[in-house]
Amino acid sequence: MMSDLNPALETFTQEVDELLTTMEDALLVLELTPDDVDCINSVFRAMHTIKGSAGLFGFDDVVAFTHEVETLLDKVRNSERQIDVELIAVLLACKDHTVQIIQHALSNENEPLPIALQQQSEALITQLTGSSPISKGMTSTQEKKTDHFVVDINSSDSCDNWIISLAFKQNALRNGMDPLSFIRYLQTLGKIIDVIVSMPTSLCMEELEPEDCFLNFKIAFSSAVDKKTIEEVFEFAEDDCDITILPPHSRQEHYLQLLEHFPEDQLKHLGEMLIEIGALTEKELDCVLREQRNEHKAIIKPVGEMLIAKNILQRPVIEQALIKQEAIKQKINKEANYIRVDAAKLGYLINLVGELVISDAAIRLMVEKHGLSDVNNVVGAMSHRVEEIRDTALQLRMVQIGETFTRFQRVVHDVSKELGKQIQLQITGGEAELDKTIVEKINDPLTHLVRNSLDHGIETPEERIQAGKPEKGIIQLNAYHDSGHIVIQISDDGKGIDSEKIVAKAISKGLLKPDQIVSQTDIYNLIFEPGLSTKEEASNLSGRGVGMDVVKRNIEALRGSVSVDSELGLGTTVTIYLPLTLAIIDGFMVEAQKERYIIPLNMVEECVEMSSTEWKIDHVQHYVNLRGQVLPYLRLGDFLHNNKKHQPTQRESLVVVRFGEEKAGFVVDELHGENQTVIKPLGMLFENLKGIGGATVLGSGDVALILDVQGLIQYAKKRVSPALALSMND
Amino acid sequence: MVKTILIVDDSTSMRQVISIALKDTGYEVIEACNGQDALGKLTGIKIHLIVCDINMPVMDGITFVKTVKQLDHYRFTPIIMLTTEMADEKKQAAKDAGAKAWVTKPFKPPVLLSAIAKLVLP
Amino acid sequence: MNPLIHKKDSKIELTTQDQLRQYLTFQMDNEHLAVSILDVKEIIEINTITHVPMTPTYIRGVINLRGNVVPIIDLSARLGRKDSEISKRSCIVLVQVDYKDEIHLLGMLVDAVEEILEIPESNIMPPPDFGGDIRTDFIQAMGRVGDEFIILLNINNVLSIKELSQLKQMADYEGSDHANRETGDIAAK
Repeated sequence: MMSDLNPALETFTQEVDELLTTMEDALLVLELTPDDVDCINSVFRAMHTIKGSAGLFGFDDVVAFTHEVETLLDKVRNSERQIDVELIAVLLACKDHTVQIIQHALSNENEPLPIALQQQSEALITQLTGSSPISKGMTSTQEKKTDHFVVDINSSDSCDNWIISLAFKQNALRNGMDPLSFIRYLQTLGKIIDVIVSMPTSLCMEELEPEDCFLNFKIAFSSAVDKKTIEEVFEFAEDDCDITILPPHSRQEHYLQLLEHFPEDQLKHLGEMLIEIGALTEKELDCVLREQRNEHKAIIKPVGEMLIAKNILQRPVIEQALIKQEAIKQKINKEANYIRVDAAKLGYLINLVGELVISDAAIRLMVEKHGLSDVNNVVGAMSHRVEEIRDTALQLRMVQIGETFTRFQRVVHDVSKELGKQIQLQITGGEAELDKTIVEKINDPLTHLVRNSLDHGIETPEERIQAGKPEKGIIQLNAYHDSGHIVIQISDDGKGIDSEKIVAKAISKGLLKPDQIVSQTDIYNLIFEPGLSTKEEASNLSGRGVGMDVVKRNIEALRGSVSVDSELGLGTTVTIYLPLTLAIIDGFMVEAQKERYIIPLNMVEECVEMSSTEWKIDHVQHYVNLRGQVLPYLRLGDFLHNNKKHQPTQRESLVVVRFGEEKAGFVVDELHGENQTVIKPLGMLFENLKGIGGATVLGSGDVALILDVQGLIQYAKKRVSPALALSMND
Repeated sequence: MVKTILIVDDSTSMRQVISIALKDTGYEVIEACNGQDALGKLTGIKIHLIVCDINMPVMDGITFVKTVKQLDHYRFTPIIMLTTEMADEKKQAAKDAGAKAWVTKPFKPPVLLSAIAKLVLP
Repeated sequence: MNPLIHKKDSKIELTTQDQLRQYLTFQMDNEHLAVSILDVKEIIEINTITHVPMTPTYIRGVINLRGNVVPIIDLSARLGRKDSEISKRSCIVLVQVDYKDEIHLLGMLVDAVEEILEIPESNIMPPPDFGGDIRTDFIQAMGRVGDEFIILLNINNVLSIKELSQLKQMADYEGSDHANRETGDIAAK
């Protein structure tokens, strides 16, 4: 469509050459006199001009790159950015790179940049801005959304036209507006069916200045373009002209249809909806809203009414949109149909469900005892329902941990400022759910741990740079589910825990003997002992070594556990295991010494016969070789009832349990299988008791204790620790 | 009557491309490489529309527009400013100076053509 | 059902003024003791007591009381005597104690519950400074009934959760058993 552009391209090449040479010279001058305003301007102009011309030729890659350089130079021009030797070096590289990409554009017009050049562009932009480009290649012409609407331009139906009203203001001509030119341009988009020209009736000819404009046009226009396109015709006239564009009737049908299929996922304002279907333009809406704001409160009219009154849209479209809006509102209300419930009521419900579960167990016990086979089916079905009720009831109290995590953003922000450190908090796994009662109780320990990381973990920026780490430290909060538990991790990339210091401290506190051999894990876990803090000077944040033991106690009170792992100089990770709920779990019942115990089912890996013919059992060190796996074990009967003489049954069983990474076996006399375990707190009296996690009421009405698997595994593991093996002599 | 358009831009290639596009469409074109140069070319001819860059050496676009609006013959002549997307305040400055329309740089020829066509048909 | 429960029920209508001087007497290790009726919540028969491992002997275990798990304290063991033997007449006296702003329900295992006595104010004496094997802070007062003195227990001290839950004994208990093998166990400290 255009004449040969080759001569222009040649000029462009020459021009670029000149500009870039000027740019280089200017940069070199700037190296000596960084404040030379003229030089800065000519560097800027070089990039600015190249960008503009490249845009004309459609060299989008060149535009994208020079745009970034230009933006930076603009900042330099406005003294927002200091020019220095390094920046000049980068800018020189940018100049060279510009030559390359322009050459590529000239020789392979429509091909995209080769990857190497592309990467170089990105690298340079990153060096310039400190961040990577958001979008590759900004396009100079935007694709417009078109709604596929076909109109027969030659339609004879005279009433099916756009009605465009133009009321030019008195000063329009003086401002260089030529009303006719717009109307002529309009003709490029469609067919003008009719034009009615009118003048204000009150016009007094005697006072009329020749330069005044009093022209009003009403144009019937037939076109397939959308409202926005028509509006754009009068883009430059909008200051000097009141414009209304009323869609034709056939359009109305079209808008109604679009409204019919309007997405119902989000509640929107009437105006937004109408813009989305193309019945209204943003300018029209802005204008109406501005007017609405200026109106007196008492006579304020809804947007819909105003649109009709101002002849911007026809009533049926507005009405349909309002109906749709109402429908969306109702749908969304339905979806967001939450009820606020008193937590105490919910707690009461869950207690009742617990009782129901126990009654259910009692009934099943009776049915079994009396051999009521005909009742069996009914009872079975009821048990199933009870289980469903249980799960649903417990689900009611589940909340995501994310909100708890997000609250720490503020803590990290404030505290890092206070400490003069640069720290970023990263949150992952916020969607993991757990019981609200636990969420509430975990907040304090979490706060303490995060503050610990802030205070003792992350170093000052200077220390970090010296250690070769990025200035900004990172604290990460993560959560995920693992075998019926939620795992919460607080990690930092700080200086880690100095185990030697801990050992020294522990020895001085009498927690360790000087010659004692302890594993790294045991050393780290010493920080949870009362009165141990490695920081020489206590800060006002994490206190004076009070805390970590309290943290541990609080977590254990929730039937959870906490452990710490660290690498000196690299960081520390504290891992918290918590049960998902404190109410009802699936349990596995075992018997030892005539007492029944519950092991949380999700911690049971497998059950095997404790047979020395099959497994190699080491009775001295208390471990069993289970298919090549060395497993410490604990005789529950002996361990829990060491005051009684235990008569082992003929067929003992080994229950393999797992907690996190650790495994152990419990030797029991009998297995009683799965049951629903309603957890009953043991109360304050037993708060220091280790190895027992809680209690439950069995169908028989008796109380059975729930084992604290993690505590017992620790105990079992200690017995096979090689350091202790020597002193064992049983 | 053929309409005459004055293009003021410091980039030769820019002027050249615009000029080719406009001539193809049926306009008469006069070129100037900055404001000062353009002012000299205003006399002795009827110019229907001015396309003007903002950032130019010697005399920038805003100063040029302000000057043009003072001239008796040209105070009603529509002016299209070529602005950059990052300069909203520039756009306002151009508007205040008397420019009526603008096209955001970088652009492809058809964009400028349709802007011109809205104000002055060939 | 224990007939004594009725006895208590029949007097439940008494005014506070009267109750102040009412005491429940019971037998423990052939000795008569009493607690204020205001402290007593209920008297129940002994059903199954589930032993809680690794606890001192005075913690007899836990029971299911209408769905709640209630700890049972062997009073005789708590007062430093021998462990109670459970007989047909053994009973559990449920009492409430305050700890950390909460009310806690505890069961007290006694050999037999006897009666509810009204002891006039004038017959209530302060605890003796010496004599007897029961810690003085466990004794609230002495009540004279006829020519006999009955120890009126201070339940909040005898069944102090703070003290009972210290469970230092538990660690000892654990330690003494395994001491010979577990000398290196830092956790046991």
